[in-house]
Amino acid sequence: MAAPETVSTRPAVLDVQGLSAGWGPMRVIHDLDLTVFAGERIGLVGLNGHGKSTLFQAIAGLTGWQRGSIKLNGYEVGRTRSQGPGRYTHLIVRRGLALIPQGDEIFHGLTVEEHLDSGAFTKRAWAERALRKKRILQIFPPLEKLMKTPVGRLSGGERRMVSIGRGLMSDAELFLVDEPSLGLAPKIGRSVVEALMAVELGGSAMVIAEQNVALLEGSVDRIIGMHAGKLKGEASASKTLSMERNR
Amino acid sequence: MNWGFIVTNAITLTCIYGTLAIGISVTWSSLGLVNMAYGFIFALSGYGAWLASVYIGPFPVVVMIAGILTGAIGGLIVCLLAFIPIHDKPNFPLRALIATLAISLVGNQILLWWFGPRAKSLPRLFGSWNADILGVVVTSDKLGASLSAILLLTLILLWMRSSRRGLEIRAMMMNPHAASIVGIGVRRTSIYVMALTGSLAGLAAVLLAQTYYVAPFSGITPMIKGLSIALVGGLGSIPGAVIGAIMLGVNESLTLTFLGGQYVLITQFLLIIVVLLIRPRGISGILDKAREA
Repeated sequence: MAAPETVSTRPAVLDVQGLSAGWGPMRVIHDLDLTVFAGERIGLVGLNGHGKSTLFQAIAGLTGWQRGSIKLNGYEVGRTRSQGPGRYTHLIVRRGLALIPQGDEIFHGLTVEEHLDSGAFTKRAWAERALRKKRILQIFPPLEKLMKTPVGRLSGGERRMVSIGRGLMSDAELFLVDEPSLGLAPKIGRSVVEALMAVELGGSAMVIAEQNVALLEGSVDRIIGMHAGKLKGEASASKTLSMERNR
Repeated sequence: MNWGFIVTNAITLTCIYGTLAIGISVTWSSLGLVNMAYGFIFALSGYGAWLASVYIGPFPVVVMIAGILTGAIGGLIVCLLAFIPIHDKPNFPLRALIATLAISLVGNQILLWWFGPRAKSLPRLFGSWNADILGVVVTSDKLGASLSAILLLTLILLWMRSSRRGLEIRAMMMNPHAASIVGIGVRRTSIYVMALTGSLAGLAAVLLAQTYYVAPFSGITPMIKGLSIALVGGLGSIPGAVIGAIMLGVNESLTLTFLGGQYVLITQFLLIIVVLLIRPRGISGILDKAREA
């Protein structure tokens, strides 16, 4: 992370131009532009119902309809789509997206280990899955004892760890983390966010949607506000502070 | 009263119906598709096995493999016609129900037109000998049917437990939405699922043809039984389907002996109504978290 270059000279991992998206007659995202550069960790803050989750879902192709350009590593995954939510999601995911959704999008009957395996969908990730699981256990030590337990029996915090771990198993270039602390006890929520901050990004990027700004402050590169389906205001959080924190 | 006969009969029926019910259950929970064309796949694989026995020779292995393969092909046909084109359209479960019903009706008429109304019979796959197990005389076809159904089901369930494709199918059975988020392609997985469940129908067709026969409409009753077992067990649950199959197998065997064959469907549906009154979501409503419509 000691690169002297400024963030904006690096290649863009995600380039969203003029994106609108929603469900049926409802338009949630209004002509939104967003560029995320490699190695960046961005906080996306905003109230409930202002389109943070919908933005993530639109990038993953999960909204009812969408139009506008979404470039993931220079490859166009957006375009205009009026039906078939989720039809191309798995292809977008294979292009290098890891969506860590809000709430528990988990497979109740699968064990933690199978869950992590299911995140390794590319050939390389599948071949390296033992190594990667070990790496994830270093980030989330409590999962070690639970590897053979069905995920349906875990607590909320453990489920969130599994869900994040599943995202980290992949070769993703772009991590979209939706409300990592939602519904968790403050202490556990904080530890989950801290674990996210500890993930080494390298050439990839991470966008974290969060309502609790205090959790993000100081440890992300930029904080962007979201209001009524548009991005509003941008503050670059102090980078030095975040470096110290990570140490 | 011959309890040995009742028990062996119940076990055989359980195995055959369980095979069908698991096929229907897996299709529903992973793809959200109630496969009404299952009866057609069943009949088609019966004819596939019959053609193999006529043109290749009445070798048991050949006949059985031909039946299973034809079933898989039938499953693929249903997948291509009724799943892939419409799976992301609104109201998919209803559309798929109607589409598969249409395939079933058209397909059965094609079988009738092509092969004629006369029933065909398959060669005896398991010879004609009797085994004596703990004083109970078991005929070879019953023993063979039970063992081969259990063998294929075990193989498939083991494959689903251990392989990567199996992991994908199980993930889709539990949460199709999350499955697409982790990069599991619905359309590609549907091809595996339909081929797999089709081959289960094929096996059941070959096994049931040992006691019955192959006819254009021979698939209807087994499909109704398979579907109702899957319902009783709680659609989407494999353990539930097994328990349901045991219940209905025992019921059918008891009814056959004490009341007569014509009452089987009556007692069966009475039993189903009672079970669903007590447990509206099926036996395993809580055993497994299965897909809800």
